[in-house]
Amino acid sequence: MRAAKRIREIPSRLNGSFETLLAQFSAATRELKPSIGPTAFVKRFTSNATRILETTSAALVLVRGEDWELASAEGDASRISHDKQVQLAKELSHMKWNSVGAVRFDSAIDIFGGELAEELGGDDLALARLTGSEGDLMGVLCLVGRDRAFEAPDRNLLEALAGHASVALENARLFSWIERSKKQWIEDFDAITDFIVVHDASNRILRVNRSLADHLQLRPSELIGRHMEILRALAVEKSKHVCPFCRDSRAGTEEYVQQAQERTYLVSTSRLRSLPEDDLRTVHVLKDITDRREAERRYRELFDNIQEGVFFCTPSGQFIEVNDALVRMLGYQNRGELLNANLFEQLCLRPDLRRRCVRAAEEGGMLRNHEEVLLRRDGAWIHTLQNILIVRDTAGRVIQYRGLMLDITEQKSFQAQLQRERDFNKNILNNTRSMILVLDTAGLISYANRRCFETGHREIELVGHPLSEFIVPSRRKSLAEVLRGALRGVPIENIELPFIRGDGTTGQFSISLSPMRDEQGNINSIVVVMTDVTDAAVLQAKLMHTEKMAAVGQLVSGVAHEVNNPLAAILGFTDLLLENAEVPESAKDELRVILQEAQRTKVIIQSLLSFARQKPEQREALQINAVLRQTLKLRAYDFSNHGVEVVEQFEEDLPAIVGDVHQLQQVFLNIVNNAYDAVQETGRPGRIEIKTSHANGQVEIRFRDTGPGIEDVDRIFEPFFTTKEVGKGTGLGLSICYGIVRAHLGDIFCENNSGGEGSTFIVRLPVAAETAIAAAAASERAQ
Amino acid sequence: MKAAKSAAAPAIAPILLIEDEASVAAFVRAALERRGYCVVPSPSAAEGLRLLETGDFCGVISDIRTPGGVSGADVHSWMRQHKPELLEHLIFITGDIANRATAALLEESGAPFVEKPFRVAQILSMVETTIGKPREQHDR
Repeated sequence: MRAAKRIREIPSRLNGSFETLLAQFSAATRELKPSIGPTAFVKRFTSNATRILETTSAALVLVRGEDWELASAEGDASRISHDKQVQLAKELSHMKWNSVGAVRFDSAIDIFGGELAEELGGDDLALARLTGSEGDLMGVLCLVGRDRAFEAPDRNLLEALAGHASVALENARLFSWIERSKKQWIEDFDAITDFIVVHDASNRILRVNRSLADHLQLRPSELIGRHMEILRALAVEKSKHVCPFCRDSRAGTEEYVQQAQERTYLVSTSRLRSLPEDDLRTVHVLKDITDRREAERRYRELFDNIQEGVFFCTPSGQFIEVNDALVRMLGYQNRGELLNANLFEQLCLRPDLRRRCVRAAEEGGMLRNHEEVLLRRDGAWIHTLQNILIVRDTAGRVIQYRGLMLDITEQKSFQAQLQRERDFNKNILNNTRSMILVLDTAGLISYANRRCFETGHREIELVGHPLSEFIVPSRRKSLAEVLRGALRGVPIENIELPFIRGDGTTGQFSISLSPMRDEQGNINSIVVVMTDVTDAAVLQAKLMHTEKMAAVGQLVSGVAHEVNNPLAAILGFTDLLLENAEVPESAKDELRVILQEAQRTKVIIQSLLSFARQKPEQREALQINAVLRQTLKLRAYDFSNHGVEVVEQFEEDLPAIVGDVHQLQQVFLNIVNNAYDAVQETGRPGRIEIKTSHANGQVEIRFRDTGPGIEDVDRIFEPFFTTKEVGKGTGLGLSICYGIVRAHLGDIFCENNSGGEGSTFIVRLPVAAETAIAAAAASERAQ
Repeated sequence: MKAAKSAAAPAIAPILLIEDEASVAAFVRAALERRGYCVVPSPSAAEGLRLLETGDFCGVISDIRTPGGVSGADVHSWMRQHKPELLEHLIFITGDIANRATAALLEESGAPFVEKPFRVAQILSMVETTIGKPREQHDR
C-alpha cells in the first residue's frame, strides 16, 4: 500500500525521462513478486536498481537480528573479495541508521575507505533504507559509481524503489514463513503414528497422513479424492454406514473401540461444521490400542487368577476392586458382597492398619510387609501379610490404597508351634539339673545351657573355647582320648574329671559324651552332659566316715559291755579275797595289783563307752568362747613354759550353743593337748591358733597348729588309732571327742594345712534355737 | 513309809538274784552270803519269775539285760502287778546305762542300780539300804 502511494508521488518529483523511468520501474516491480522467493527477489532487485540508477556497483545488505549480511551484489561489487564484502556490510552496520532518512547520498571513500571505494567504482554513494511495516530496519541498498552525481529525482526514485522493495521483501519473508509452517505441519501430520483421515460431506477423502497411506501401501496423494470405502478394511467388516468410521453423523464428536484385522483401534471422530452447510469435514483418528488392550487383559488375568488377595480401596477403607482370591481368603460369597465391606471398619481387629496406611502416606512411601489380623466372614481370624501402595491424584491427594495380601495363618501357626517347641527344648535344656554342652568336631564348645554358667564361667568364656581348656592340665589327655572315641561314635558315660571353675577352684565333674549325627549319619557334634559331683563325692566320703564311726561305736559298745561282765567278776572276787582273813598278806599285795589293773581296764571301758554314747549328759546354754578360755587356762602356764604360743582369735558375740560344758571342755582339752604334743614333736617353738566364728547356723572353732601334720586324717578319730609312741596315749582321746561332738549334733574333722605346715582341727556345733536354750534353762532349774 | 519300815525289819527270807552271767552271779552271791544274806540265784528272768510266784523273798536283785526273752523290765512290771510290796526291795544291775531302754526303765521305776563293773562294797551298801540288814547281824 505504502509502496503504491510513494509511486503516485513520483511524477511530481521527476522531470523529463519520467515515462522511461516509469516503464523501467513497472517492469522492475512486476518482476518483484513475493512468489519468486527471497533469494531470487534480492538478486533481481539489486540488478534492477543498478540498471535503473546507472551505477557501476549495487549491494544489498540485509539485517537479520544483529547480523548484517551482504545478500546480493551487482557490477563491480559482485567482483570484490569475500573479505571486502564482509567489510562492506560491517561498515554499513556501524552507521547510525536511526538518524538517517530513507535515502542518503554520501562519500564512498569516507564510509568504506579509498581502497574499497575504488574497487566499487568511485566516491559517489547512495544508500537507501529498507524498512519493515513496524518501522524496523530490514536492510540497506548501497549504490556506488556513477558518471554523474546523485540528485533529487534520483532520491525520489530510490525512495520509491526502496519502499516497494521493503513491502515485497517483507511479504516474501512472510510467504516463506507460511510455506515453511505448512511444510512443517504436513511433516508433523505425517509423523503421527495414529491413522488420520479427513473426509468431506460426500465421504470423499480430503487428507490422510503418511502412516495411514503407508499402512495401505499407497502414497497419500493416491488416496485424496477417493471414497472412504477404500478404508473399509480398517473398520468392523459388516458396518452398514457409508463411511466405515462414521456411526452417528450428526454428533460433533464420537469415540469408540473397534476391532479390525486382529488389531484394536480407538476411533475418535471430530466433525468441523463450517459455512456453507455442505462443507462438513470429518476427521477420524484411529489409535491402535491393541498392545495396551493386551497389557490390560494380561493385568486383568493376573488380577483375577493370582493366589494373593488384591484390593483397591478408598482412603476410608471402602473396597473399590477386589479379586477372587481375596474373596476366598476372607470367606465371602462373591466380589459384590466383599465390595460392600470396609477394610478398616469391618475386617481389622485393631485400628493399626489404618494408622499405618496414614503414616505411610505421610512419609510418601508404601506399607511393606505389614502383618495384620483380619476377620473372615465366618468369624474366624486370619493372619495376613500386606503390601499397600498409596495412590495419589495429580494434586498429591491420597485417593486410593492398593494392596496385595497373603494369608499367612498357616505359617504363623507353624511358626508358633516351632517357637513353642523351641521354647520347650530351651526350657528343658535350661532347667535340667545337668550342664549340657555341644562340641563341634574340633572339640570347641558351640552351645552351653544356662546350668553351665553355674561353674562361674560366662557364656562368652565357654562358647568358642575348647572344653579341654577347663580341665586340669594333667587330665586333658584323658579328655582328648574320650573325645576321639566319641568322634568315632563311641559314647562315654560318667568319666570323672577335675573341672576348673570360674573362680579358679577345681571340682569333680562327672562327664558323659554322646556323638550327635546329621541326617546322613555323619557325626557332626558331640553332646556333653556334666554334673558337678564334688559335693556328692565329699558327702559320700563323709557319709562313709560317719557310718564307719557308727559301726565302730557299736562294736566298741558291744565289746565294752561284754568285757564289763568278766571285769565285774574279777573286781568282785578280788574284793572278796582281799576281805578274806585266810588269805596271807603277801598274796593280798598281788591281789591289789590285780585290783589296780582291773580298775584301769574299767577306766578304758568307760572311755570307750563315752565315745559310743549317744547323749550329752547335761544340757545348758553355753558361750563357746568362755568354755575355750576356761579350758586354755588349765594349760596356759605349761604351754608358755615350753615355748608354745597360743593365739586366740575369737569372734565376739557368738550365738550360744546348747551342750554339756564338761564334755566340751574334755573335747577342747584333748584337741589342744594333741596340738601341743604335735608342736613339741617338731622340737621348735610353735604356735597354736584358735579361731572362733559362726556361719550358716553353726559355731565353728578352728585349732591350727604348727606341728608336723597328720598322716592319716581320715582315721584319726577311730578308737585306738594313735600316731603317738606306744604307751604314750590310749588312742581313745580323739575318738571320745568324736563321740561327744556327734552327740552334740556337731561335726569334728581335721585337715592338714595347705601351706604344708601342721594341721587344723575343726569343730562345728549347731547354734542353739531360742526354744532349746529355754528348755535347757528349765531342765537346769528342775535339777 | 512302808518301805522305811520294811528296810528296818530283819531280812529273814532269801534274796532272789537274777543274773545270767555266772561269774558275776557267783561273786555277788558269795559277797552277800558272807555278809549273812540268804541268796537264791536264777540264771534267767523267766526262771526268776517262777521262783517269785511260788517262794517268799525279802528282795530282788536283777540284771536288766537277760536272755530268754524276759528282761529286767519285765521283772519290774510283773512285780508291780503281782508283788507290789516287793518293788521297794528291787535293785537293778546294768551294764549300759546309755542304752535308751535301760535309761527309761531306771527313770520310770526309780529303782536303785549298780553299774558293771561294780565293787563289793557298792552292792553291799545298796542291799543294806534297799532290802535290809542280814539275819545274823540283826540277831546280834
